[in-house]
Amino acid sequence: MSFSRIRLVSYRNLEDAEINTAADRVFLIGENGQGKTNLLEALYYLSFGGSFRGQVDAQIPANGVKGFGLKGYWKNNSILEDEIEISVQNSVKDIRLNGKPVRDRKELVGHNPSVVFCHEDFSFAAGEPELRRFFFDQCAGMISLDYIDILRAYRRVLKQRNAALKESAYDLLEVLDPQFVRYGQELMAIREIIFARFQKQFPQLYEHVSQLGKPVELEYRPNWPQGAGFEEILQFVESKRDIEIIQGTTRSGPHRDRWNFVSGGESFTDTASTGQLRLVSLVLRVVEAIVYAETVEAQTGTRQWPVLLLDDVLLELDVGKRRRFLELLPGEREGAQAFFTFLPGEPWTEYASGDTLVYRVNHGRFEG
Amino acid sequence: MKALEDLVTLFTRLPGIGRKSALRMTYYLLKADPRFAQSLAEQIAGLQDQIKFCSVCGSYTESDPCPVCSGLDRDRRILCVVEQPQDVITIEASREYRGLYHVLGGLLSPLDGIGPDKLRIASLIQRIRKSRNESVPIQEVVLATNPTVEGDTTALYIRKVLEQEGVAVTRLATGIPVGGDLEYADRLTLARSFRGRMPL
Ligand SMILES: [Zn+2]
Repeated sequence: MSFSRIRLVSYRNLEDAEINTAADRVFLIGENGQGKTNLLEALYYLSFGGSFRGQVDAQIPANGVKGFGLKGYWKNNSILEDEIEISVQNSVKDIRLNGKPVRDRKELVGHNPSVVFCHEDFSFAAGEPELRRFFFDQCAGMISLDYIDILRAYRRVLKQRNAALKESAYDLLEVLDPQFVRYGQELMAIREIIFARFQKQFPQLYEHVSQLGKPVELEYRPNWPQGAGFEEILQFVESKRDIEIIQGTTRSGPHRDRWNFVSGGESFTDTASTGQLRLVSLVLRVVEAIVYAETVEAQTGTRQWPVLLLDDVLLELDVGKRRRFLELLPGEREGAQAFFTFLPGEPWTEYASGDTLVYRVNHGRFEG
Repeated sequence: MKALEDLVTLFTRLPGIGRKSALRMTYYLLKADPRFAQSLAEQIAGLQDQIKFCSVCGSYTESDPCPVCSGLDRDRRILCVVEQPQDVITIEASREYRGLYHVLGGLLSPLDGIGPDKLRIASLIQRIRKSRNESVPIQEVVLATNPTVEGDTTALYIRKVLEQEGVAVTRLATGIPVGGDLEYADRLTLARSFRGRMPL
């Protein structure tokens, strides 16, 4: 997938403009604070109807304005381009795909997704287990639209279950538990698939870039007994009932699943250097893009890459790792579009090719 | 102009009405035929006196029991359980269903402090038991709660409490999208749902 052009209105510090992006590689070159990351954020917003910075929409509009607008165009298989239009006015969001209102952001996921590589990803490798769960939930949502619905339902049952525990409503626990187990099992099943797909790619790609010499593997540890059937899990859940009643909260379930990186039988998160962990987060994003491309290929017969948004990620890699990391990204003839941000001093000319659009970014203005 | 401002504020409390629409409605009424404004005011004032809850099924009615509960042409063997009175109107409009109704008045939700005692579940059981002394006892209960977590929880709970009552319990399952709302299901899907109801 690729954006052919985008339009910006009152988006952060960016000047209102239409920007041509019809190229396999788009380089944004400028000092910090000029608007490079804001443009990547706008592209991501067009993919998913929300920001990757996790900020509220009210913070996005340019100074002194109450709303903002975005428009994106991308090629599909027909002659016409697809058009996504998003406007947020007074905190009311309106999303239209080819003129038709989109009621649930979930509907956008399959159309022109993107994968963003940024500094904050470091927390997926180094941070709390919750952050890794968040990363893999996001990936699962990209390959299975059902996953998002199941996760929403699971969280709702979990909330209701916790409330029932606090109020000692045991007769309701009896009818909540079967739903809790059913949704939880569905989550586990999709997570197992995601795990297998990542495990197939991650160790070798990580070794390719890091040349560490010992394998770093991914591990998925569900909180409920692995491979157990519905009845067995239901019994497992009920066996915790006494302590749950005392503590007033749910003590088991996929919301406590663990994702770990292990090397030589040890937690890699605990033993690796900062640089090694940063590389883990970069390779995770590459695998996410590959897994998505494979999924689309399995469904439609054609391989389709998400748009790659790389925010200053090459800066922290040494020359060798930088080169080997770039080797992991889909080649230009594979129809994958990538946006890179660079500081003016970086050797970006080395990465450019015939089909590269280069923009200088100054005070929110893009000059080709 | 306090009278104007007060009315605008009242209108904004209606569902789906923002300040802009409230202003438009207020100015419209200001210029409208006085007889229109008068009859609108009377209708609104009399609404809660004229429309009551049916003492049998719990849906809205002007006469008690409601026309459905007292109707001679209804199939009294089958009872459809819904969340709210509006659901009865929605299902009636589909013309697919000729049985009786029972309105719960909400869904089970521990998060909102709504337990079984807050809903018309006890009266449902009583109604089924009482029907055994009538010429046509209730034989099937159709649970038509929305397919949300709370709708499912309520359906599962009712199935559990009806286990010993000797009635078949079915659920509207197909047609209505997951997380969907009975209120927004179109007539056709609703009709399909009734034909395709499943044992729970
Ligand atoms: Zn009635």
